[in-house]
Amino acid sequence: MAKITFQDAVTKTVEVPDGTNMIEAAKLAGVEIPHFCYHPRFTVVGQCRMCLVEIDGMPKIQAACTTPIKDGMVVKTSSPKTKDAQKSTMEFLLINHPLDCPICDQAGECKLQDNSFGYGFQQSRYDERKKQYAGYSRTKIGPRVIADMTRCILCTRCIRFTQEISKTGELTFLDRAGSTLVWTHEGRELDNDWSACAADVCPVGALTVEEFRFRQRVWYLKKTPSVCPGCDIGCNNSIESRGETVYRYMPRLNPDVNDYWLCDHGRFLSESLNERAYTRPIARVSGDDTFPGWEPVLDRTVAALRETTGANVLALGSAHLSNEENWLLRKLFGDTLGVPNLDVVADGDRVRTMPSKHGWIESSGVAAANLRGARDAGLAPRAGGKGLEDVYSGAWTPEIVYVADGAFSRDADHPDRVAALRRATLLIVHARTENLLTREADIVLPCASLAQKDGTFTNRFGRVQRFERAMLPKPPVKADWEILLALALKLGFGDPGWNPLSIFPLLAADVPGYAGFDEAQLEGGLTMKKGLFVSEGGL
Amino acid sequence: MKKLRYSSAPSGEPFAFTDGESREIEAILARYPTRQAALLPLLWLVQARTRWISREAVEEVARVLGLTTAFVDGVITFYTMYNLDPVGRHELQFCTSISCHLNGAEELLARCEQKLGIHAGETTPDGKFTITEVECIAGCDRAPSMQVNDRYYEPMTAEKLDDLLATLAKEA
Amino acid sequence: MAYERTLLARIDKENSRSIDGYVRDGGYQAWEKILREKPEPASIAETVKKAGLRGRGGAGFPTGVKWTFIPKDTKGKPIYLVLNADESEPGTFKDRLLIERDPHLVLEGMAIAAYAIGCKRAYIYIRGEFWDGARILNDAIREANEKGYLGENLKGSGVALEIVVHRGAGAYICGEETALLESLEGKRGQPRVKPPFPAVSGAFACPTIVNNVETIACVPLIMNRGAEWFASIGRNEKNTGPKLYCLSGHVNRPGVYEAPMGLPLKELIFGDAFGRGMRDGRKVKAVIPGGASAAMLTPAEIEDCPLDFDGVAAKGSMLGSAAIVVMNEDTCMVRAARNLAKFFAHESCGQCTPCREGCPWLLTVLTRIEAGAGRPEDIALLSAVAKQMNNGMTLCVFADAAVAPVLSTTGKWPDEYAYHVEHRRCLVGARQEAFA
Repeated sequence: MAKITFQDAVTKTVEVPDGTNMIEAAKLAGVEIPHFCYHPRFTVVGQCRMCLVEIDGMPKIQAACTTPIKDGMVVKTSSPKTKDAQKSTMEFLLINHPLDCPICDQAGECKLQDNSFGYGFQQSRYDERKKQYAGYSRTKIGPRVIADMTRCILCTRCIRFTQEISKTGELTFLDRAGSTLVWTHEGRELDNDWSACAADVCPVGALTVEEFRFRQRVWYLKKTPSVCPGCDIGCNNSIESRGETVYRYMPRLNPDVNDYWLCDHGRFLSESLNERAYTRPIARVSGDDTFPGWEPVLDRTVAALRETTGANVLALGSAHLSNEENWLLRKLFGDTLGVPNLDVVADGDRVRTMPSKHGWIESSGVAAANLRGARDAGLAPRAGGKGLEDVYSGAWTPEIVYVADGAFSRDADHPDRVAALRRATLLIVHARTENLLTREADIVLPCASLAQKDGTFTNRFGRVQRFERAMLPKPPVKADWEILLALALKLGFGDPGWNPLSIFPLLAADVPGYAGFDEAQLEGGLTMKKGLFVSEGGL
Repeated sequence: MKKLRYSSAPSGEPFAFTDGESREIEAILARYPTRQAALLPLLWLVQARTRWISREAVEEVARVLGLTTAFVDGVITFYTMYNLDPVGRHELQFCTSISCHLNGAEELLARCEQKLGIHAGETTPDGKFTITEVECIAGCDRAPSMQVNDRYYEPMTAEKLDDLLATLAKEA
Repeated sequence: MAYERTLLARIDKENSRSIDGYVRDGGYQAWEKILREKPEPASIAETVKKAGLRGRGGAGFPTGVKWTFIPKDTKGKPIYLVLNADESEPGTFKDRLLIERDPHLVLEGMAIAAYAIGCKRAYIYIRGEFWDGARILNDAIREANEKGYLGENLKGSGVALEIVVHRGAGAYICGEETALLESLEGKRGQPRVKPPFPAVSGAFACPTIVNNVETIACVPLIMNRGAEWFASIGRNEKNTGPKLYCLSGHVNRPGVYEAPMGLPLKELIFGDAFGRGMRDGRKVKAVIPGGASAAMLTPAEIEDCPLDFDGVAAKGSMLGSAAIVVMNEDTCMVRAARNLAKFFAHESCGQCTPCREGCPWLLTVLTRIEAGAGRPEDIALLSAVAKQMNNGMTLCVFADAAVAPVLSTTGKWPDEYAYHVEHRRCLVGARQEAFA
């Protein structure tokens, strides 16, 4: 252990394990040492020279990130010498940097802006031509990332990302001295499963995500913790929204799952959260859509369920629904109504991988977040019960089919499979987006997106993680759990005061393996902020 | 007027090492504990035959050594002696660092540019001459110093330059 | 007065490169003695320490001390010796001479050093432009292998040594030892963060010693004639041994001169055995004492200036690579500074912010001033920018080198800068016209 003293605006001493990077030690002491090229997951390069500090007993200014800490060190993070060095580095960084802030997506989460504001100076002494990079500015460097080399400060974070994390090595320095830039081999692209992460780690607007380009100023974005719906690794992300629109996903720092990263596939699912085809309940009568409102359609459903026996009903959950929703479905249909025909399916997909802090994590090859949770909740045919396959094969035709997620899999657009489900007398579907199944259904119940409800998902390894709602669904749209609860109350199950937060303990007591849940694990990773000083979880 | 070096030009033809070169590569690899360390020697091997390093050659070298093409690009663009475009038969390299500068190097270079009708960094249309401005080549006591391909010509004078250009122009 | 040639004893001999000639002149005797007697390797470092040999590449670090930095326990890692033959400092050409004319002296020095540190495979990193030098060294290595001075089980001693020539490809920064190691490993020549230092983690993450050609060439001399002999040459016990001085610029007889460490600068320029004064009867105006990276000296400052590490340091400059470039009164100091700024702007590796951005900035401002487009604030700006680039601001000391010409010329010839800015033309040119 080593005791380090930081003489900042106030003097703070902190004791840290040997080998701790000085920038991290400062963070632990609540002191900011501004930097660009340092990143906790990449090799330390000491190139940007922003983290220069005066250290007692060392005549020359030192880069904090490359100076090994020693017990008793006194680091003067705001002495005149340190401040001069910071101003000097900021001056050098800005002499060629274009005045793009008004048109640059990075504004508001830009380390250059923040460090300039905090440690730079007002006036520029540079009155020469700025470097131009014809052909290498405002150009796509890969299918999902746009590059602008006039903005690049050559910190090599993106290069180190491709070398050390994605291990795809597409990026390199080219040329040398003042003409140096970052690019790929001519004819190749920055194209790997995590390419947008290179834009995440870029401290300026040199690498930006094309999907987000010019769409929103980041200071208007609300950050809500969520879990990625793309596969069953359960990467922690933030829904970044304004009003009713989701603008992007950003990673949340969870070293045990996705660490600092998101894969491009999952990241760009954010846009799908904005799709909505259904805004009010639909009851189809002789092929025509009618909009009677919630009470009539729920009452009609209740009446139909009461007229038949559980053996004639199929209740279909979903790997896209939360644990709370799948559990409510099972409790209502399985336990209360005695329906033995419960099921859940999920689309297959290629196996996806994420570089967690402790090594690569693989998905199981499903294209949904919560297959494990749905199965744990008990969504499988019970003894003597039938499943989806029996309906598809024609072996069994249920009277009532209740689909709690109209987009449960690609089956919903499969003509033969939808036709099989359509043979039921009454087809009820929760739906947000349109497909063959929702067009065939007798009753369509408009449900919330993942951004509009709370809940938990269980990843393939049994890790239960919470996601929160970024916005309320616009009435009369309801969250799937709200719809199921409303139905349940009419059928004599449930409490009107229930919500996902209160349902979870009930679920945990009822489902094997879910008791004694770890609150820290449930909460998941740290919401990450770019640019601003954060003691932990800075991008 | 420093030329930007961001990628090597494509030659339009696939590049493959000859059998002799492949044997040489094995010998080179045996001299280093890593394959990556053989990169500079392999690039010299390519340039010894073709006099420049085409994009196809970059891709082949990367394949042989198990490196990414981006990595090899990073190396060839860093070092000034690796040619990213075809060069003329005679690469005229004029040093203009301090000692040569004090002894008329720029005037000599200007004379050569004027005689050949091209600027430093360019190649004559007939492919005979390329002019390059280089930094100190350790010929300071024989300033102004220059190299043509792998040979020193020092000290160079205006008259000697005229003779040299005439002689080299005559070569087949 | 001419001094005895020891380092340069053989360079004018016919066939000086051949191993037969080298052996006939007593070469490889020191190496054979070591192979025969197998002394304690540490004793060789002791001898070199006693001799007071300091690195002749530019830094002047005591060589024998450097060799002791190799850890006792390398945890199974091989130890490497790398010869720095990248000689690229403007004004320097001594290593080229040694390599081209007495390669076996260099090889024998490497062999002894390799034995002293426990190295079995050594590399010569030679700059790409030394085409002849690389060929000559490879030929010499082949000869040495044939005659049993390199290879396996040398002279039945059980000692093995392989020397590999590795050619650079045009980058001054690869003379910096960690950038050299990066280049040896097949990467861009970008200097490394220190610590770790090469003696602990150098080539291929193994303990490594990097030595300059001239430094290594001194080693056989020390072994043959003794540490006391070496230490007896030179101005004092901190600046010992014979030294090669590279003289160039506006002198009558530029060239490599061997003299005891501490030769007075004026003697080198004007001595009959050395530079023989200024060409065409001109006067000295400025002298670079140690390569482009060294602060320039005024005529007053070259009085009583011993050319050794401490002597030049006392004048506020450095001996560096002992490249003495002499400028006469017709030299425009702004133009000279601009030429040096161009060099540094081309050769910066581009890794770190102050150097990458500062060197082109200095060049741009100097170019404007020289061309007559200088602004009143430019001169102060040059100094201010230069002072933001040195003393720890950068990852390596390239930037400290780059600003030395700017700081010394703006500091010592301010009237020339002022004239360029105010009158939009050169003071030297104006004086010449006025005189004519």
